[in-house]
Amino acid sequence: MKEIVIISGKGGTGKSSICAALADLLQEDLVVADCDVDAADLHLILSPQASSSEDFYSGLIASIDPDKCINCGICKTACRFDAIELINDQHIVSGLDCEGCGYCYHVCPQEAISLEEQKVGQFMISETRFGCDLVHAHLGIGADNSGKLVAKVKSIAKDHGKKLNKNLLLVDGSPGIGCPVISSLSGADYVIYVTEASLSGLSDLQRVHELVAKFQVPGACIVNKADINPTVADKIHRFLTREKILHVGDIPYSEDFPKAISMGRTLIEENSEWWTPVFTKIWQAIKEKI
Amino acid sequence: MRIIFTATGPDWDALIDPRFGRTDYILLYDEEKDELSSIDNREIMEVAHGAGPKTAQKIHELNPDVLITGNGPGGNAASILGQMKIKIYIKAGGKSIRDAYNSFKNNELILGG
Repeated sequence: MKEIVIISGKGGTGKSSICAALADLLQEDLVVADCDVDAADLHLILSPQASSSEDFYSGLIASIDPDKCINCGICKTACRFDAIELINDQHIVSGLDCEGCGYCYHVCPQEAISLEEQKVGQFMISETRFGCDLVHAHLGIGADNSGKLVAKVKSIAKDHGKKLNKNLLLVDGSPGIGCPVISSLSGADYVIYVTEASLSGLSDLQRVHELVAKFQVPGACIVNKADINPTVADKIHRFLTREKILHVGDIPYSEDFPKAISMGRTLIEENSEWWTPVFTKIWQAIKEKI
Repeated sequence: MRIIFTATGPDWDALIDPRFGRTDYILLYDEEKDELSSIDNREIMEVAHGAGPKTAQKIHELNPDVLITGNGPGGNAASILGQMKIKIYIKAGGKSIRDAYNSFKNNELILGG
């Protein structure tokens, strides 16, 4: 099974809309994984029906046992995150502020503090109306995406794809170049960069490409909103040539992107006549390379 | 020579895990002793951040001469491995450990890192 990861560096370039359009185009022979877990939006378009789910635990959270606590305040002084509050003469941990570093746990003279695994959300395997299944996660309030979570979503998606004999895993990655992105690239066969013709689009493309180059993963690039700044678009094209990234298409600015996502539709469902040929051409070019 | 493989299982028939930091197993083949040993690295699944440097640390302790892997280590892991005298071969993902070793002996692997 080939693993293709869609990344952008910059957020808001149209990455998820393009991922959903490809899922619509390819329909059956793939599994889609939404690894942009803390800003997941594929489910808005693919409207998945969860067929199975599992709780996900990550990171630690401190908890103070009021029976053992003598309210000496050492933990409150030690905490770098101001996560310990004194309420009604009792020290308590604020769940949203605690980073789980364990400093308080180690300094407490009464051993009144414990570190507990935190339930941060759920994984789901869901069916979509396109015939392909979606593996995604739902994070709780204040929970964070991580390399661990992305690795887990990908490994569930891979096992699921193998079981169903699918040939392709399409991963919607997260923006940036941090741990979740590194984890989404690890094990990937091919990268699709989605950028836009803006200075930050170009700069973030360069940054994320630097990361991808470390992993030696080949890739292709789609330049979205290519007509909003022809000068920058031109710079992006030259960057792609220099870095030997396959340029698979320029997409002009289109109101179809926000319209489709607000209606819960893919671009192809929004306007098949226009978008089907666009994505067919893009997919043909990429298919030859993987 | 001491050769490290990132692997999906503990023996010669396992495949090269294309992932470096989150590899399931770390295999060590000691050519002089003709001995293949394995370290179960699956606890890495529970690590939220910094999987690459942690795996690099484990590999450092094994004092190897060669690393054979898939995508190759990322920036932080690469800077740790850079401190060691180790040759890193990449793009062996999906090969069996036996095939990857034979390819290495025949100079068919790609030097990376």
